[in-house]
Amino acid sequence: MTENATRRFIEDYEARREVLPGVDGWLSRHREGAIRDFAGVGLPHRRLEEWKYTDLGRVLEKAGIEPAPLLEGAVLLPESRSAAVFETIDRHVLVFVNGRYRADLSKAARLPKGVEIHSLGDVLHEQWAKDLVERRFDEKRQAESIVDLNTALMSDGACLRVRKGVKLDKPLHLFFFSADAGASHCRNLVLLEDEAEATILETHLGEKASLADLVLDISLGVGARLNHIKLQDEAESSVHIATMRARLAAQARLSSFTLTLGCGTSRGQSFVLFAGEGAEANIDGAYALKGAQHLDQFCVIDHAVPSCNSHTLFKGVLDGESEGVFQGKVIVRPHAQKTDGRQMTHALLLSRDASMNAKPELEIYADDVQCAHGSTVGELSKDALFYLQSRGIPEAEARRLLVLAFLDEALDLAPHDEARESLRRLVSDWFAEADI
Amino acid sequence: MSMLEIKNLHVNVAGKEILKGIDLSIAAGEVHAIMGPNGSGKSTLSYVLAGRGGYEVTEGSIRFKGKDLLEMSVDERAAAGVFLAFQYPLEIPGVTTMTFLKTALNAQRKARGEEELDAVRFLKLVREKAKPLNVTDDMLKRALNVGYSGGEKKRAEVLQMSLLEPSLAVLDETDSGLDIDALKTVAEGVNALRSPERSMIVITHYQRLLDYIVPDVVHVLSQGRIVKTGGKELALELEKSGYAEYGADAA
Ligand SMILES: Nc1ncnc2c1ncn2[C@@H]1O[C@H](COP(=O)(O)OP(=O)(O)OP(=O)(O)O)[C@@H](O)[C@H]1O
Ligand SMILES: [Mg+2]
Repeated sequence: MTENATRRFIEDYEARREVLPGVDGWLSRHREGAIRDFAGVGLPHRRLEEWKYTDLGRVLEKAGIEPAPLLEGAVLLPESRSAAVFETIDRHVLVFVNGRYRADLSKAARLPKGVEIHSLGDVLHEQWAKDLVERRFDEKRQAESIVDLNTALMSDGACLRVRKGVKLDKPLHLFFFSADAGASHCRNLVLLEDEAEATILETHLGEKASLADLVLDISLGVGARLNHIKLQDEAESSVHIATMRARLAAQARLSSFTLTLGCGTSRGQSFVLFAGEGAEANIDGAYALKGAQHLDQFCVIDHAVPSCNSHTLFKGVLDGESEGVFQGKVIVRPHAQKTDGRQMTHALLLSRDASMNAKPELEIYADDVQCAHGSTVGELSKDALFYLQSRGIPEAEARRLLVLAFLDEALDLAPHDEARESLRRLVSDWFAEADI
Repeated sequence: MSMLEIKNLHVNVAGKEILKGIDLSIAAGEVHAIMGPNGSGKSTLSYVLAGRGGYEVTEGSIRFKGKDLLEMSVDERAAAGVFLAFQYPLEIPGVTTMTFLKTALNAQRKARGEEELDAVRFLKLVREKAKPLNVTDDMLKRALNVGYSGGEKKRAEVLQMSLLEPSLAVLDETDSGLDIDALKTVAEGVNALRSPERSMIVITHYQRLLDYIVPDVVHVLSQGRIVKTGGKELALELEKSGYAEYGADAA
């Protein structure tokens, strides 16, 4: 039974419909439709194939999360290693506290000509924003239906548009922090026009019982390049639902990498649609879970046109009673010849009570393609541990060394040199302190 | 002074008795060779010394430099000076040989209360030790033992030994799979470590290695027991007559 959680969202919508951004235009009609659809199907539950391993409805019902309070006064940003991980990188920063943009804490000045960065409310009247928000990717709509909740309630977000041939001069860092318990709904929009380039860093932090409901809508023009790195380090009582939907025109390249070092219940969804030939998508990630953490990665790559490459690799280690899930699908449409699609997931269980469910799938309707998928779940090799210990390396350190070596293959894929090295150090420090 | 004192050692593996009462005493500075047919328990003995899990000591004792070795964890034994050159060195994907060597050396130094080496001093030391063993920079940069040839793995084991400077080195068939030049290189590496404070157990099937590393004592291990002990001439004898007279199920 998830009526209370569902009702709470609907009530929240009704209370705020007049003050949500875009009230006087197309969006308010769109929101009406979205909340109706959401009310119709309710929160996702285990009986839906695509939510088989994550009973989001039950989790939210139990968490009883209210809307996050608006925090306009002084706020102390966390000083953890995760908070500081991108600090040494010269970057633009947009800070969101409880899901609201805080200009006073942000720093994105002197943007190159042809680069526009706005908060959501300021771009809703523009056609490109409308186009991004209204798109649909998933035919069955089981996974994507949760986006309706975001569409109905989205209150803020970062919107980046880079004009044709322009390169964003330095990474754009989106820093999300839940200072209080409660639900926040952010919609981030990214449009890179033909041959444009950008790097986006995302950090999600929170100590409190919060719900972060996020949608990242991406459109890449011909030959555009987007690098995206996301770090998640949230409280064990938090819920995180993030959907990335990306459409790639010909020759475009999207490289997205997610590192999860802390979460409560987390569902990350990636939808990639190849709309032009010769494009490339890398959707990768690494994670380390402990306690009762639950991380579900859901990934659909749609090769709708020929000659595109996709690569997905998720690697993680699970301790305590944590649960990992990977559900993935590579679809190759009938005309999408010369497709190269790879989807792999590997997990290392560090405790008897940890578990992993992996279901990578291929749906291939073309014949001249190269596709591979696979998953492994293993444990640390006792022989390898003995070998390291026999050289004087204490057991805990030997375990760390092997775990880091295991994760390294995925960390290598983070698509920004400095950020990658910072993440590597962060992971290494994390394991040095974690009792794993 | 006694380096190693094994008394009446009985060891079970997977419920089966493999070592059936070993007595072995090695003084500081001595090199003992252990020979014997396949399956006689040579590697088992070496693993028990290193402390591998799954080897159950049902009777007997092992004292190392006067201390109860069986009470110590695997890494404690290493820090105290026990080193095993594996018959089959393991491949460790993702950990470079360099990182591994530095972690191991500094872990041992730390355990002994010595100062850890910084990157510069460590690099200098490794290069110095690697050179005579023909271990190249390229090998050091690769993942530990991954893609190493059989001979390269054995040379890497000897490099680890010369870096870690153990007081008791157990070499389990370090000569197997080596060509004649590599055998000389490895033997020179081992001989360079011989000293009055360091003892060695050299497990081998071949007299050839013992031409280069000349032992003080040779033991024959058969069916879990030491059945004969002699001087270096015993190895020559064995080479001629095999293990038949020791009632072994010789290979
Ligand atoms: N894990 C195990 N489970 C069952 N039997 C084992 C196990 N490990 C070793 N043995 C048995 O113990 C006996 C001794 O093996 P060990 O490896 O010590 O012999 P070895 O003298 O080193 O032989 P080789 O010359 O072939 O290296 C063998 O009969 C082997 O089959
Ligand atoms: Mg053996």
